[in-house]
Amino acid sequence: MSIRSAYLLCTGLVAILITSSACTERFDIELDSTYQRLVVEGSITTDSIRHSVTLSLTGDYFSNRPSSRVQHAVVELVTGEDTIQLPESVSDPGRYETPSALRGEPGTTYELIISGLDINQDGEQERYHSTSRMPGGPELESIELRYYETPVASGYTVLMYASHPVDQRDWFGFKLMKNSDLLTDSLVKYSVLSDDIFDSGYFPGLPVGFFNDDDPREALHPGDTITFELNCIDEAYYNFVTDAQLEIAGNYPLFSGPPANIPSNIDNGAEGIFTAYSIQRLSLILPSLGIPTPR
Amino acid sequence: MLRMRYLLVTLVVMISLKCSGKETISGYIRDAASGEALVGANVIIEEFGTGTSTNEYGYYALSLEPGNYTLIFSYVGYSSVSRSINLKQGIVLNIELSELLHELEEVTVSSQRVNSNISSVETGSTSLAIQSIRKIPALLGEIDVIKAIQLLPGVRMTSEGSSGFSVRGGGRDQNLILLDESPVYNASHLMGFFSIFNNDAIKDVKLYKGDIPASSGGRLASLLDIRMKEGNSKQFSASGGIGTISSRLTLEGPLVKDKVSFLLAGRRTYADLFLLFSKDESLRKTRLYFYDLNGKVNYQINDKNRIFLSGYSGRDTYANKEYAGMGFGNRTFTLRWNHIFNNSLFSNFTLVNSHYFYDLGTPEGADDYFDWNSSLDDYGFKGDFTWYSSLQHTVRFGASGTYHIINPGVVNAERNGGINQRLELDANYSLESGIYVSAESNLGSRFAVRYGLRYSIFNNIGPATIYNYDEAYQLVDSATYGRGDFFNIYQGLEPRISANFMLNDLQSVKASYSRTRQYLQLASNSTAGTPLEIWFPASPNIGPQLSDQLSVGYFRDFLDHRIQSSLELYYKKMSNSIDFRDHAQLLLNPRLEGEIRIGEATSYGAEFYFRVDTGPLSGWLSYTYSRTFRDFPEINDGIAYPAPYDTPHDLALVLSYDIVPGITVAATWIYSTGLAYTLPAGRYEVMGNILPLYTGRNEYRLPDYHRLDLSVTLKGKEKPGKRWRGEWNFSVYNAYARKNVWALNFIQDDEQPDVTYAEMTYLFSIVPAITYNFKF
Repeated sequence: MSIRSAYLLCTGLVAILITSSACTERFDIELDSTYQRLVVEGSITTDSIRHSVTLSLTGDYFSNRPSSRVQHAVVELVTGEDTIQLPESVSDPGRYETPSALRGEPGTTYELIISGLDINQDGEQERYHSTSRMPGGPELESIELRYYETPVASGYTVLMYASHPVDQRDWFGFKLMKNSDLLTDSLVKYSVLSDDIFDSGYFPGLPVGFFNDDDPREALHPGDTITFELNCIDEAYYNFVTDAQLEIAGNYPLFSGPPANIPSNIDNGAEGIFTAYSIQRLSLILPSLGIPTPR
Repeated sequence: MLRMRYLLVTLVVMISLKCSGKETISGYIRDAASGEALVGANVIIEEFGTGTSTNEYGYYALSLEPGNYTLIFSYVGYSSVSRSINLKQGIVLNIELSELLHELEEVTVSSQRVNSNISSVETGSTSLAIQSIRKIPALLGEIDVIKAIQLLPGVRMTSEGSSGFSVRGGGRDQNLILLDESPVYNASHLMGFFSIFNNDAIKDVKLYKGDIPASSGGRLASLLDIRMKEGNSKQFSASGGIGTISSRLTLEGPLVKDKVSFLLAGRRTYADLFLLFSKDESLRKTRLYFYDLNGKVNYQINDKNRIFLSGYSGRDTYANKEYAGMGFGNRTFTLRWNHIFNNSLFSNFTLVNSHYFYDLGTPEGADDYFDWNSSLDDYGFKGDFTWYSSLQHTVRFGASGTYHIINPGVVNAERNGGINQRLELDANYSLESGIYVSAESNLGSRFAVRYGLRYSIFNNIGPATIYNYDEAYQLVDSATYGRGDFFNIYQGLEPRISANFMLNDLQSVKASYSRTRQYLQLASNSTAGTPLEIWFPASPNIGPQLSDQLSVGYFRDFLDHRIQSSLELYYKKMSNSIDFRDHAQLLLNPRLEGEIRIGEATSYGAEFYFRVDTGPLSGWLSYTYSRTFRDFPEINDGIAYPAPYDTPHDLALVLSYDIVPGITVAATWIYSTGLAYTLPAGRYEVMGNILPLYTGRNEYRLPDYHRLDLSVTLKGKEKPGKRWRGEWNFSVYNAYARKNVWALNFIQDDEQPDVTYAEMTYLFSIVPAITYNFKF
């Protein structure tokens, strides 16, 4: 059990006690509107694939419809002296893809330039810009599955063994796949970690993921293939994910600070994130004997 | 500093010499039944129509020309006593007052009724008798001094049910809470829903909202001075109660009659005892409780010397024996020595220790054992002197020093067969000192002024590592200091001035100015807070917070002071105020100072207070209009925003009525503007999640808060010779089931990911409670 899990368990026990008479219910409230902004979501990784950048617009909070995609933009990716144009996907408007498979290199700074748009509709086109340097350094050695049973949840925890340089600040992201299903497929499920409080240069079995028995999608059975993905991310992406998770988690007087906008690394008032990160993966197959299985 | 100490010693010696031409009448005023000192009891010289009042230890002194005088001793709820004195030389006159029965009050009390509301120089201060607090309907029947404080003008709770409070727009950490002069750093149980103060052990509660005496410092907004009972010095007695969630028992009595007395009080919740009967094995292994223990012994050595030894210990535990647990608590210790140098010079010397701690972890031997501890310790000394130089002048002076040790966090983790991890945040060491002198002078019969000066000094002491940041709060480098190095100092004067002009015996106008400094603060950006918050000191990166406050007030009594009212206006300017960057990481962060932002804050308001004490009917109406804004260049795009506790309208109506002897009904109604809140004005989608878009911090409001609490108390008939006195208290919290918003969140629908909706959480619907109280 991680410190965070134990903290959540303890505060959960208290919350149960305190809020035994508490209730939640839907609440009617009228919200103000604000002007539209460009939203950018894009990434470059060490996988050799066609990477993409998706452009959309902000909307009213209770608009209750899919966000509007932004078409006909000029999207460029600059690496050193090379500039790559990302044409818009025909089948998925608002999504701009590298023309061919591209493999990111750790240590390289990637620059995203978006132009040809007039988001604020003032008659003049705007230009948006972002950079991300792909970090590298840590070495994923092995992973281990260990079964835990707590009053809150039971299931397999993934323990990570990895080394990382002690002379630099590193930020990590963790993804989990069960067979071919990416379980960490949203911001809420994506775990990130800063090594600020780890000064030994080694993660000796750090809990990095959990397969909850109570969730049929996550519950593991003999023969399942588990794939763990270690992402070495930059600070901007780490801050974006952690701040977004705080906002999604909600605001409670006991635990939460004031709500606030999530920082973006796109300039000119755009929201979202552009990031470059490296990937390492390890897989294992759950054996068929001698292990706990979901009830 | 040495020079100031020399001056203090010289002052003491000078005062110890007899004041020429004047003689002193002095003594203690005590409760006749219990021997408890009465704090704030009045001593009026009938010939002059003026006098003095007892200090925190029940001591008074009057230095007068020799002659014949009539002294009237009075105290709220007690029969007055009159004594004729032929003053030729110093007289020690100890007085015992008897508690008044309501039915006798109308004929007993006359013009000697207490008029301190009019005559006192203090502004922005309120005393609450524990008897008044006991009449207020309480959540789950747990009588709570802090919940009572929250009903006073200028004070509001920080969130539903919380024992945190904000005074005149200040933060939770800007209140200095003293229990027998020992600071209490977290006065809450059960994540804030109850305070640590067991009402059976408390004698006196006084809140200073602005005009804090020069003898105290270290917090910007208020001083909450809570004094424990001394213990019955006349006879053994016991009191207690069996409540809905806890039971309590207090024992007190003389060890040597009229010489040595003791008090021992305990309280414990018992929710977890019922869990033992659960069918769920996991619940049977769950422990959820808090307890309090208060103890006090006092020894009257002789007429000039008295020693008090008091302590408190309390703890909350939330744990499952198999998996994890969390605990937190306070321990305080106070040793005091009252010494009377001569009858006009009273002194008190105090040693205090305050310890706050929390721990979190898994059981020893667990596969993933870890243990997380944090603590704060204060070791303090204080010397206070009061010189009653004449009827017109009283001088107070003294010095204090407190050594703070803050351990922000140590985590020991053991995983996978002995691979250990240890994280230890550097401890902070600091010394906070102060010297002060203040005087209260009556200039004529209608004008009184109190003027004081406090000089406070704060030192950071090594060992320490101080991180340096650039303008973007990025770490640049660090500086390391060795053990015992005084590597940083802040110091400054804190003037405190107040004046009172009595228009007549029923009206007065008062004004005050005070400056306060705060060197320790809480690393918290939530409104209610958790026990896992840490305090952190001023440092080379963080200057002391500073507050300048002006207030004026009009005070008016009616019906021979049975009805007291006041209207106070205040304006407060705070600089070096502290807030935190958006989404600050405050837990286990070795670079906490990089999360802090510095700015200014302004608070202003009007407070109306109308208090009734007519015998069977008692209570008060308080109304506050106030605004508080913060102005931080790096928060909210540099635009000033409402502070978290900014509440334009705040009203409390507290009433109790003795229908017939033995039956008392009470009601409390609270109304306040909803808290300032940040709401989304737009949204966008990233990685399948809808994220909020805000346009400004705290620019909207939650719905208004209001609530009605009711109670009925049935007392058993008192019979001669029967010592056992019992009473039943039936209470209802939130009688009309108002759904007050505790939290408001915006949710992405699981089934329809493009749909979002608002969801409110409210904590309490109707909460009934039954308590049986007894005394013998």
